[in-house]
Amino acid sequence: MNQVRLFWRSFFDIRPGERLRVLFMSLYLLSVLFAYYILKPLSRALFLNKFDIDKLPWLYVLIAVVGGLLAFVYTNIAVRASLSKAVLGATAFSVACLVLLWFLLKNPADWLYYVLNIWVSLFSVILVSQGWLVAANVFNPREAKRVYGVLGVGAVIGAAFGGSFTAFALKLVGVNNLLLASAVMVLFAYGAFLAVERQPGVSLAGAKAAEDEEADFHFADIVGAIRQHRHLQVIIGIILLTYLVDVLVEFQFSAVAKQAYKSKEELTAFLGSFYGLYLNLITFAFQFFLTAAVVNMFGVGGTLQVMPMSIGLLSVSTLAFPTVLSTSAARLSEAATRYTFNRTGMELLYLPLPMELKNRTKAFVDIFMDRFARGMGGMLLVLVTGVLNVPSRYVSILVMAFCAIWILLSLRAKREYVATVRGRLEARRLDLDSVRISVNDPATMKLLEETARSPLPRQACYALEMLEASQSVNLEPILRELIDSPSAEVRGKALELALKTRYDMLLDEALREIRSYRGGERSGSIEPAVEYALTYSGDGSRLARTLLQHPNEQVQASVLRFLGGSQSLARELLTADWLAQAARSAEPAERRKAALAIRSLGDGHGDLVAALIRDPDARVTEAAARTAAALEDRALVLPMVERLAEPRLRGALIQALAQYGPRIAGTLGDLLMDHKLPLPVRRQVARTLQHIPDQRSVDVLMAGIAGPDPELRSAVIEALHRLRETVPNLNYGAEPVMQQILSEARMYYELSAALSPFRDQTDVKTPAGLLAKTIEERLRKTIRRLFYLLGLKYPPREIQAAYLAVNRGRSEEISTAIEFLDNVLERELKRVLIPLFDAPGHAAEKGREVFGLARLDTAGALRQLLESGDVWLAACAIATAAELRLSSLAGAVAKLEEGAGSEVARVARDAAARFAA
Amino acid sequence: MAELNIIEKVIALEAVDLLKNLTPDQLARIAAIAKETSLAPSKVVFEPGQTQDALYVVLDGAVDIFRDGQLLHTARQNEVIGAWSLFDPEPVSLAACGSSEGARLLKVNREDFYDLLSDNMEITASIFSTLVKRFRQLVEQ
Repeated sequence: MNQVRLFWRSFFDIRPGERLRVLFMSLYLLSVLFAYYILKPLSRALFLNKFDIDKLPWLYVLIAVVGGLLAFVYTNIAVRASLSKAVLGATAFSVACLVLLWFLLKNPADWLYYVLNIWVSLFSVILVSQGWLVAANVFNPREAKRVYGVLGVGAVIGAAFGGSFTAFALKLVGVNNLLLASAVMVLFAYGAFLAVERQPGVSLAGAKAAEDEEADFHFADIVGAIRQHRHLQVIIGIILLTYLVDVLVEFQFSAVAKQAYKSKEELTAFLGSFYGLYLNLITFAFQFFLTAAVVNMFGVGGTLQVMPMSIGLLSVSTLAFPTVLSTSAARLSEAATRYTFNRTGMELLYLPLPMELKNRTKAFVDIFMDRFARGMGGMLLVLVTGVLNVPSRYVSILVMAFCAIWILLSLRAKREYVATVRGRLEARRLDLDSVRISVNDPATMKLLEETARSPLPRQACYALEMLEASQSVNLEPILRELIDSPSAEVRGKALELALKTRYDMLLDEALREIRSYRGGERSGSIEPAVEYALTYSGDGSRLARTLLQHPNEQVQASVLRFLGGSQSLARELLTADWLAQAARSAEPAERRKAALAIRSLGDGHGDLVAALIRDPDARVTEAAARTAAALEDRALVLPMVERLAEPRLRGALIQALAQYGPRIAGTLGDLLMDHKLPLPVRRQVARTLQHIPDQRSVDVLMAGIAGPDPELRSAVIEALHRLRETVPNLNYGAEPVMQQILSEARMYYELSAALSPFRDQTDVKTPAGLLAKTIEERLRKTIRRLFYLLGLKYPPREIQAAYLAVNRGRSEEISTAIEFLDNVLERELKRVLIPLFDAPGHAAEKGREVFGLARLDTAGALRQLLESGDVWLAACAIATAAELRLSSLAGAVAKLEEGAGSEVARVARDAAARFAA
Repeated sequence: MAELNIIEKVIALEAVDLLKNLTPDQLARIAAIAKETSLAPSKVVFEPGQTQDALYVVLDGAVDIFRDGQLLHTARQNEVIGAWSLFDPEPVSLAACGSSEGARLLKVNREDFYDLLSDNMEITASIFSTLVKRFRQLVEQ
C-alpha cells in the first residue's frame, strides 16, 4: 500500500496554490513541444527527400559545428539577459524565422534544407531548454520533485500531438504551411508563459536566461577536472558513447525510411508519427512505469546498462534484417531509453559531484560534448559509408562494438558512484535537496541507511535528512529504530522527520524524551519532542498547560514556540494576567517566557515587547527581538536599533530586523542618516541592510555612500559590496558610484600628500611614527573601498580577484590586475586609478597631476589632517604637532578641544600645554 | 605625574608583542579600556597559584619577577608582564611585585578585553593571526 501511495504521490502530489502554476506551465511545455515536433520530422523529411543519404552525415557534422557555435553565442547573450526578456526575444525570433523560412521554401535553394535543419536544432536548444529553465525557476527543487512528472506529461502530450498533427495536417495544408502552424504554437506557448508569470508566488525578475556557469566554464578547467576525477572520466565516456551511438542509429533509421517512403508527404507523415507519437508514448510509458522500478531494482549501474544492452541486441536484428521495422525498433529503443533510463542514471551519476563542478560539467556537456560526439559520429559515417562505401546495415557492427564498451563503462560507473557517494556522505557534502529527480538508487539508499545508524550523531542526522530529501523511501522503520538512539541529537532528528512525514506512532517515545530530560546542557531532542507530543497528544491543551509548568526552561520555551502556530490554544493558556505577571517578574527566565509567549498571542502587545527589548538581561532582549520579528511590528524597529551597538545582542537584533524584510528598508535608511543616533549604531544599521537583499536596501545605502564619517562610509560601502555578492542583478546606481570612486581616489591622493613629510618616520613609539602608520592604514582601507565600489560597477568576481592581486603586492600579479583594469575601466576612472595602483609610492606627485593637489610641508600636512574630520587621525596629528613644537598649529589644535570627543580633547589639552611651555 | 592620554597609551601598547599586528585605531580601542595604575615598592602584582587576570605594560619604574623566591627578571619601561594571561586562566607559577623604586603600569583587564574582542572582530582576527604565527614558529622549532 505504501509503495502505491509513494508511486502515486511521486507523480500527482500537487498542493493547493500550485495548481494554476502547474496547469499553465504544462500548457507552456505542451505548446513548445507541439511546435518542435512539427518542425523536427518536417525538416528531416524535406532533407532526406531532397538529397541522397550520403549527404546526411555531412548534415550531422554541420549541425554539430554551426549549431554548436550558435548555441554558444546564444548562451553568452542569454547569461546577460533576464529570463522574461529571453522568452519574449526567443518567441519573436522564432516566429520571424518560421515565417521567413515558409516564404523561402516556396522557391527553395539546396542550401535552405541545411539551414532549416540547423535552425531546428537551435530551436530545440533555445525554446525547449528555455521551457525547462522556466520550470526550474517557477518551482523550487522540492516542488520540482513532485510536479515534474505532471509537467513531463504535458510535454509528452505536446510532442505526441505535434507529431500526429503533422502526419494528419500535411494532407490538408501541405508540407510547407506546417511551418506557420508551428509559429502559431510558439505564440500559444508565449501566452501560457505570460499566464505562468502572473501566478502568485512566481517571480522571474531575478532569473537569468542561462546560468553563469553555462557561459563561464573554461575548457582547461574542465579538462583538468576530468583528469583529476575518475568519476568524471566515466561520465564523459558514457556521454560520448551515448551521442555517438545516437547518430549511428539515427542514420540507419533515416536511410531505411528514405528507401521505404518515396514522397516527402509520406516521409513527413511517417517521421511525424514516429517521433511525435510512438517515440513519445514509449518514452512516457518507460518513464512512468519502468524507470523508477529499474533504478530501485538495479541501481545506477544497472540503469545505465539498459540503453546499451537494448540497442546492442536490436542492432543484431538491424544487421540481419535491415527493414523499417528493425531500424525503427532500434531507433525507438535508443531514443526512448536515452530520455528515460539513461537520463535518470546520468542524473544520479552526477549527484555526488561537488555542485560547482557538476554545474560546469553539465554546461560543458550541453554546449560542447554532445555536439562533439555527434560531429564525430557524422565524420565516422562519412568515413565508413562515404569513403569506404560500407552499406548502412553494417553500421550495426560499429554500434554493437560501442555498446560493448559502454556496458563495461557502466559497470565501472557503479563502482565510482558508490565510492564517491560514500566520500561525500562522510564529508556531509551530499546534496539531494537541489536535485530535481527522486533519488531511489538502492546503493545510495543503503549507504544513507547505514550512515543514519552511524555512531556519529552529525553524520547520522545528515543521512536522515538526505533520506527524507530523496522522497522515495518509507522512513517509518528507520525512524522507529533511531528513536532509541543513545544520541539526543539523533532522537530529535527522528522526531522532527516523523512530524514532517506525519508519522504518528512515536507519541510515547516523545513523552519519554520530555520526562527523562533533567536540564543542564541544551538538548537537541527537546524541542521536536515537545512539538511532536503536543501535535499528536489527544489532549494538547492539558499537556501544554502541564509542560508550561515544567521546571526546565527549554521545555517551556518549546511549548511557547509551539503555541506560536496555534493561536486558539495560546489564547486559552496564556491569559492577560499570566502575561503581565511574567513580564514584571524579577526572574529573567519568567520575563523571557513572557517575551516568547507574546509571539503566540499575536498583535496588541507592542508596548510590552518594546519594554522587553530594553530589558537588562540579554536573553530576554533576544527573545523579545525574535517575537518582534515574528509580529513584524514597525514600532519595535527603533527599540531594537537603539541597542544595535551592544555586541552581545547585535547578532540576534540584526537577524530579527532582517526578518522584517524590505518593508523596513526605508525606516532603516532614515536611521542610517539620523545624525542624532550614535555612529556605532548607524554603522550596524548599514550592516543590517546588507542582510535584506532588495533594491530598497541598495537605494537607502546609496544615499549614505558619500557620508563624511569614514567608518560609517566604510560600513555603507561594505554593505553594498556584500549585497552585490548576494544579489548581483540589482541596480547599483552607476553614477553615484562613479562619483564616489572619484571622491575616494581624491582622498587617497590627499592622504598620500599628507604622508609625504612623514614617510621616513618608522618608529611607532613616537607620535610621528604612529601618524605615518595610521595614514598608511587609511590608504589601505581607501584602496579596499575603491575596489568595493568598482565591484558595484564592474563584474564583482573579477574586481575582487584584482583587489587580492593588488593587496598581495607581487609585481607580476599587480601587472596582470592593472592590465585587466586598463581594459575594463572607463577612461576617466583609468586616468585617476591606474597611477594609484601602478605606483602607490609616487601617489603624492600623481595627485598633483591628476587633481592639482598642492605639495605639503610638515605643518601643511598636519593642518590638513587636523581638519580631516577623522578623529583618530586628528589625535595623531595633534600629538605630532606637539612633539615637533609646531605652535603655528595651536589655533587648529585648540578648535579640536571641543566637539571631537573626550579622548581627542585630552590630547589637544596636553599639546596646548607643550606649545605654551 | 599626569595620566597618559590616548596617544601615549597606544604608544605604550605598541610594545606588546601579542598586539603587534593591530592597526593604531585598533590599539586605540584597547587603549580606551587600559587603566593606569601605580605600584608601590614590594606591592604584589600576582603570586604563584593565583590566576592572573590582566596584562601590564611598565610605563615607569620597574617590576621584579620571581620564581621560587629567586629574582628572575626585572621588567622596566615598555616591557610587558602577563601578555598570555589574557588567554590563559590557569594559575601562574611566578610572582611579581613592585621593585624598590615602585612602578607605574598600564593595565588591560581580561574581562574588559573580552568585551572589546566581542565587539571588534578585526582585532580578534589579528590576535588569532599573531597566535597562529607564534604556534607555527614553536612547532617549526
